[in-house]
Amino acid sequence: MRRPKVLVGIGLVIAITLTACSTGERVDLGNESSHNLIAAIAGEPDQLDPHKTSAYFSFEVLENVYDTLVEPDENLEMRPALAESWEVSGDQLTWTFHVRQGVTFHDGSPFSADDVVYSYKRIIDQKLSNADRFRAVTDVTAPDKSTVKITVAQPTPNLLSNIGGFKGMAIVQRKNVESGEIATHPIGTGPFAFRSAKSGDSITLAANKNYWGGPPLISGVTFRFIPEASTALSALQAGEIDWTDSIPTQRVEELKTDDSINLGVTPSNDYWYLALNEARKPWNDVRVRRAIAFGIDRHAIVQATSYGTATANQLAIPKGSPWYTEYHGYTLDIAKAKSLLHEAGVKDLTIDMTATSQYPETVTAAQIIADNLAALDITVKIRSMDFAAWLDGENAGNFDMLMMGWLGNIDPDDFYYAQQHTGGKSNAQKYSNPDVDGLLDAARAETNRDARAGLYARAATIVADEASYIYLYNPSVIQAWSKSLAGYQARPDRAIRFRTAALN
Amino acid sequence: MTDMRLADEASGDESARVASWRLLLGNPVTTISAVVLVGIVVVALTARRIAPYGTNKIDVADALQPPTGAHWFGTDELGRDIFSRVLLAAHASLQIALASVAFAFVVGVTIGVISGYRGGLLDAVLMRVVDVMFAFPVLLLALAIVAILAPGSATTILAIGIVYTPIFARVARASTLSVRVEPFVAVSRTLGTGHLYILGRHILPNIAGPVIVQTSVSLAFAILSEAALSFLGLGIQPPEPSWGRMLFDAQGFVQRAWWMGVFPGAAIFATVLAFNLLGDGLRDVLDPKQRTMIEARRQR
Amino acid sequence: MKTFFTSSIVRFLARRLLYSLVVLLGVLIVAFSLVHLVPGDPVRIALGTRYSPDAYQTLRAASGLDRPIVEQFLGYIGSALTGDLGVSFRNGDPVTLTLLDRLPATLSLAVVGIVIALLISVPAGIWAALREGRISDAVVRISSQFGVSIPDFWMGLLLIALFASTLGWLPTSGYQALSDNPAGWLRHVILPGLTVGLVAGAIMTRYIRSALLDVASMGYVRTARSKGLPPWVVTLRHIVRNALIPVLTITGIQLATILGGVIVVEVVFAWPGIGRLVYTAVAARDYPLIQGAVLLIAVLFLLVNLVVDVLYAVVDPRIRLS
Repeated sequence: MRRPKVLVGIGLVIAITLTACSTGERVDLGNESSHNLIAAIAGEPDQLDPHKTSAYFSFEVLENVYDTLVEPDENLEMRPALAESWEVSGDQLTWTFHVRQGVTFHDGSPFSADDVVYSYKRIIDQKLSNADRFRAVTDVTAPDKSTVKITVAQPTPNLLSNIGGFKGMAIVQRKNVESGEIATHPIGTGPFAFRSAKSGDSITLAANKNYWGGPPLISGVTFRFIPEASTALSALQAGEIDWTDSIPTQRVEELKTDDSINLGVTPSNDYWYLALNEARKPWNDVRVRRAIAFGIDRHAIVQATSYGTATANQLAIPKGSPWYTEYHGYTLDIAKAKSLLHEAGVKDLTIDMTATSQYPETVTAAQIIADNLAALDITVKIRSMDFAAWLDGENAGNFDMLMMGWLGNIDPDDFYYAQQHTGGKSNAQKYSNPDVDGLLDAARAETNRDARAGLYARAATIVADEASYIYLYNPSVIQAWSKSLAGYQARPDRAIRFRTAALN
Repeated sequence: MTDMRLADEASGDESARVASWRLLLGNPVTTISAVVLVGIVVVALTARRIAPYGTNKIDVADALQPPTGAHWFGTDELGRDIFSRVLLAAHASLQIALASVAFAFVVGVTIGVISGYRGGLLDAVLMRVVDVMFAFPVLLLALAIVAILAPGSATTILAIGIVYTPIFARVARASTLSVRVEPFVAVSRTLGTGHLYILGRHILPNIAGPVIVQTSVSLAFAILSEAALSFLGLGIQPPEPSWGRMLFDAQGFVQRAWWMGVFPGAAIFATVLAFNLLGDGLRDVLDPKQRTMIEARRQR
Repeated sequence: MKTFFTSSIVRFLARRLLYSLVVLLGVLIVAFSLVHLVPGDPVRIALGTRYSPDAYQTLRAASGLDRPIVEQFLGYIGSALTGDLGVSFRNGDPVTLTLLDRLPATLSLAVVGIVIALLISVPAGIWAALREGRISDAVVRISSQFGVSIPDFWMGLLLIALFASTLGWLPTSGYQALSDNPAGWLRHVILPGLTVGLVAGAIMTRYIRSALLDVASMGYVRTARSKGLPPWVVTLRHIVRNALIPVLTITGIQLATILGGVIVVEVVFAWPGIGRLVYTAVAARDYPLIQGAVLLIAVLFLLVNLVVDVLYAVVDPRIRLS
């Protein structure tokens, strides 16, 4: 009969093909040189307009599509990018940038100082995501096509990191913005040009041969979205992808001994913290917050979330930074915690703690904290949700306690201002201390480096003493890439730069 | 005549019941499944007392230990004893499965019996509604319901309950129809017996068989569905333990700690299998058509 | 004779089609209501932190949620018929395009799964039916129960752990289109296909076995046997030919079930199909996408069942006349 024969035939084909398997086929984009880099990131960008998105996934892609006026180097010092050089006036109130000549956007149109003015004014006037970074700026003008003049209200030592810290302040093209295409088809001046996107699957960039920094050594980059860390890693080991940052920390030990891949573990400038909602009783009482800070087992939390790759820290700025301050105000001390609670006159508390599935470390830590605080007769109810819902909850003040991290911090102002200043853009815990406000405001305008460091040290100490944020740790940047990928290194600010990458 | 008939039924029921039990227990597979299930239920009920460690006894220093004397199933990434969690999760999973199947049973059987008994337009309309629900794959509809309401145990019960209602409706209706056409029902009606009496005395006992079989099968799949929803992160939420959620957590540790995934999965498997095999055994006994064949074979 | 059959087929078709349309209407009502049953404002919820009065108005208008409900429903049916299923709340992409984009991956998986399932269930079902009552029958019955009871995500994880992580023979996840790279497609589809196929195979084995037992107890097989034909002739000709109908039926039903049931397998294997799309849509509360996927899958389900029923009726005259 025909039927079984067909089935047997299929079975044979499957069997034969199985035995002929090799170590991975690469999907060919049809480029001449066929040196297309495949990078796996853990999620899909929500949109590609650099001024409007705040998703890290978006910036992983946009880092390669856009330029800023200045950008951080490997040591996170600001260096020239679209601006070749700059001067600051004697009164520190006028910055003059000389932009590069001969730079073009991906569609061939020329770049000039006007585009810088347009981009910055767009952010400022429309109050987009990163408008706060231009807070001190009073005006942006282009006296001629190769000069940009920025005037500030007060001396602003961190202006460079404010306008160039990451691609949220990228220089965009007016036409691209006005046509509305920027969110889905961004046009920048960066080393790679947007080529195509497949919703839920990948975004592909093609090399910009006319890049001012020299043409990339690869023909393009495809960012594939693989939310499952273990599958991304297995794909890397199988040679199906070339790079991923989707690495569960528990795999780091074994990956260090894996000869088939390069593993990059670099201390980062990120920090993770716990915050108690001071708009709700009894979290507005500093004694209660300090009690919780004394009640948690930081060592266990760091171990369970990072498997030894993170560094515990009771302030935000990491150890390797020149702005680092030592602080060891808290230890695991249940007796002290109990006496603080007693002093505050509260007992049998319940905490509504929000966590998000997008960051499993929050769920892990929440469970440890629940276990820790049970010793203080505090019941922790964990509410886990998707990130968008979590953000909504945070903004609406719909939580008692949450755990989250901030990344991409370069200047000390980045680490503290928005989160700890009264009414700060990211001050969801509603902390308010006029002393801290004064210190942070003064530090913004202090040009003497040592004096500035001192101001931040004092502000940070007060913030930690009052447990506005209960700082936990600084994680490492953990990325892995194939042995055939050269010219790439993991950066502490988590910016993903493939402009010097080469595939052998 | 009616009285004699009823008397016949009574004695017939008696010997029928004895024969049923013998048939049920005669099948070794069914007996074993029943015993296993009883064991699981006992474990679920006593879990809090017999679990060697608590639900959330965290000990990060002891994390990711393989199965040893101290921890029969090993420990997870937070140092929790997996054996204890598997036992405690039995409680959560069974509870949800029972609650959702109870919902489906009550609503579904009611719809099915009313539909089958009344017939006519009501039947046609109700059955079309049931057919519409059948057009949606189980997990898909459950996911849609979870999307509307927030994830959590209550939503899971509601979602699974709603999704399993149609099958109960169909089974109940089919059995009701086959009983309704029996002559003695028509005779009872002409004598003026109330509907409720007929329903209670004649219909319900006769649909009991297939409905019980369906209950066992639905319990099996309810456990699978709850595990699937928890695995997707949309069912039972941590730190409440659940087999499905334990498998979700185990995904990141497939190389390093195989025991995190193997044991909870095996627990799901064993429970579902036991319910399914029990259902098979019950079907052999309670489904008349099958039963005639088995008895015929035995007498050969 | 011929006109008699034709008219009965036509009448059956007409009745069946009418019935399908009624159910389709019900499906449309359910799919449509999903967005409206959300406690709270679905547009607001979906926008979340991206909320701005502008974005809210735009999205609301684009989804038609500002019009009266009856008008919305009629509009929904109208656009659904022309293939417009609205736009995603998350990125504004047309839902239909997104779904069609992901359909090939799911279809690949479903077809491979069904093929594997057939490879298992047809021989096993026939064997068990022939050996009814004996040990081998019990073995098949119980092993098929194993297949039905095993959680597919557990099996998927075990398969990945064994074949991908430990042995390294096969990739752990991902998908390559058949048109791009046939060998790669095969290597990627094996493990998820096996996961789907083993479970479906178990279900189909049980069904085929019991369907064949029904056939075997039918009169004409006994007649054939009593005619003195050797048993294996009876087996091949009568039983297997009559097994085609139930095999067709269950294949159709399983195919339709798999289309909706692959969600978990797609998640485990990071398979970019419709199932995984629904999963991410649920997490992102992208209601139009969920609606569209639910509608599409239900419609496919109905279609397949319709085709199966019609084939069944064409082959077996008794069904038509009932």
